[in-house]
Amino acid sequence: MTITTTSRPSVRVEAARAARRRWWRGRWPLAALLALLSVLTVSPFVAMFIVALSPAGRPTVPVRWPESLTLDNITRVLSSSGFVTWTLNSLIYALVSVVIILLTSSMAGYAFAKKRFPGREAMFWTFLATMMVPFQATLIPTFVLVNSLGGVDTFWGLIVPTLANSQAVFLMRQFILGLPDELFDAAKVDGASEWRVYWTIVLPLTKPILATLGVFVFLWHWNDFLWPLVVGQSDATRTLTVGLTTLRTEEMQLSLLMASAAVSVVPCLLVFFLLQRYLVNSIAMTGLK
Amino acid sequence: MRQRLRDPVTGLLFVLPVLVLFLIFRIFPSLGAAGMSLTNWNIGGEWDIIGADNYVRLLDDVNFWLSLRVTLVYSVVYVPLTMLVALGTALLLNQVVFMRGLFRGMLFLPYVTSFVLAGIIWRWIYEFNGLINGLLAKADLGPVAFLEQSGVVLPALAVVAVWKGFGYSMLILLAGLKAIPSSYLEAASIDGASAWQRFRRITLPLLRPAIFFVMVIETISAFQTFDTVYVMTGGGPARATYTLIYGIYDHGFRSFDFGYAATWGMVLFAIVLIVSLVQRRFLDRGNT
Repeated sequence: MTITTTSRPSVRVEAARAARRRWWRGRWPLAALLALLSVLTVSPFVAMFIVALSPAGRPTVPVRWPESLTLDNITRVLSSSGFVTWTLNSLIYALVSVVIILLTSSMAGYAFAKKRFPGREAMFWTFLATMMVPFQATLIPTFVLVNSLGGVDTFWGLIVPTLANSQAVFLMRQFILGLPDELFDAAKVDGASEWRVYWTIVLPLTKPILATLGVFVFLWHWNDFLWPLVVGQSDATRTLTVGLTTLRTEEMQLSLLMASAAVSVVPCLLVFFLLQRYLVNSIAMTGLK
Repeated sequence: MRQRLRDPVTGLLFVLPVLVLFLIFRIFPSLGAAGMSLTNWNIGGEWDIIGADNYVRLLDDVNFWLSLRVTLVYSVVYVPLTMLVALGTALLLNQVVFMRGLFRGMLFLPYVTSFVLAGIIWRWIYEFNGLINGLLAKADLGPVAFLEQSGVVLPALAVVAVWKGFGYSMLILLAGLKAIPSSYLEAASIDGASAWQRFRRITLPLLRPAIFFVMVIETISAFQTFDTVYVMTGGGPARATYTLIYGIYDHGFRSFDFGYAATWGMVLFAIVLIVSLVQRRFLDRGNT
């Protein structure tokens, strides 16, 4: 009796070890291949950061490695007024869009899911149909419209046309459809106003999906290029992606260019490291792109 | 009773902000695109209706057919390549338990960055004294002018887009793989099916909806390629990377020929519509 109880854990450990060894025998090449592909995938970023932290000159990673690393390039980039303006513009573009899209799409999603009003279905399907019209196909008329309203090279001209986001409305509606009606009715019986129901019940209940959507909207706008390119025609409203394309290797050192690129990717990396699990799960579940 | 009266009003009020935004910035421009393609709208905002002239000009435009071919060739390289990489990495992630979270994160990382950033990094990687040619020189090979040769430049751009975007498709396919009941595969393996047979006869058929979804998404994104072209080649060399969207941009914002640029946009719309409708039809068939 004593023998069996003392030997049991070690037997189990032994069995687990054997299983692991069996697994590795068949599959270590797969693990090695996966590791290799992963390293290859991140290596352009690693190379970018190394060059960004290299002293001036043209270090050619991986042939010629820098002898020492320096923050000079980063501080020079951060002290150039153009770069700082672009970064702030990108932040304004992304953050204002996040706030307004989350608000408007959750309001519309709530109405589409839980309210009855004339034309609801027709309206919803029209929204969905606009998903099939690629933004680039309407780039010219949208620009002409914004131009005629005096919106070229202004923040509202940059931001407002991108706020009509059918993916966001669709996602919010689908999520709120899944919430039980009783949650909203109870509050209404208690005499809460519609706005109060939205503010104190709809918004808190949709927090997880709002967070996911917020991350995506931030990335979409931070990384957006074509619309900011045509609308933000001077540094006053130029975003970081557009600003980066005005930097040319012929005119500036590679290490400075890479330092600019490296700084521009920091918000994306922050989002990635803090919210990776969130992003991964929501792509798998909703197909949000 | 009061409830029923209150509902329509609040419903409409809650939809109103989105409705206004959509009417002005999505629906009006969509109709406007069709309208503008029938005019000779220019930078001064003057225009006359010129009927189908823009479409006739389009059919006669060597550059239009060239850009269609460039876009098509690009898609033919990009879509299979990205599907292959995404499916391969998804299968590996599904098999290997060892440090799976880390590897998945590393493979997914480029997806959260921008095409502009990808273009800037890869412009340097492809340069004469860049990363790849540096390695080639060490092996006494090269240099290869990746972005200056018409035969090489489209695949070179496709590789950049694959690198930047495959993480998304990989995650969709990985979710599809995880949804396949392991009992199916175990049963087949007890019956003596080889790994290839299990993949070919069980995994692949069950993964078909996910593969199809990813293929449609990637095809549409291939037809919308612009950022990497703008950053890396500017449509060159000799218009070898003059994609459809680059044509819209070029005619609209370099020649300010808005009417004609809108006509190019209509072609893009038609292509995306056809791809979406094909997807619809296939999905419907899959459901019945």
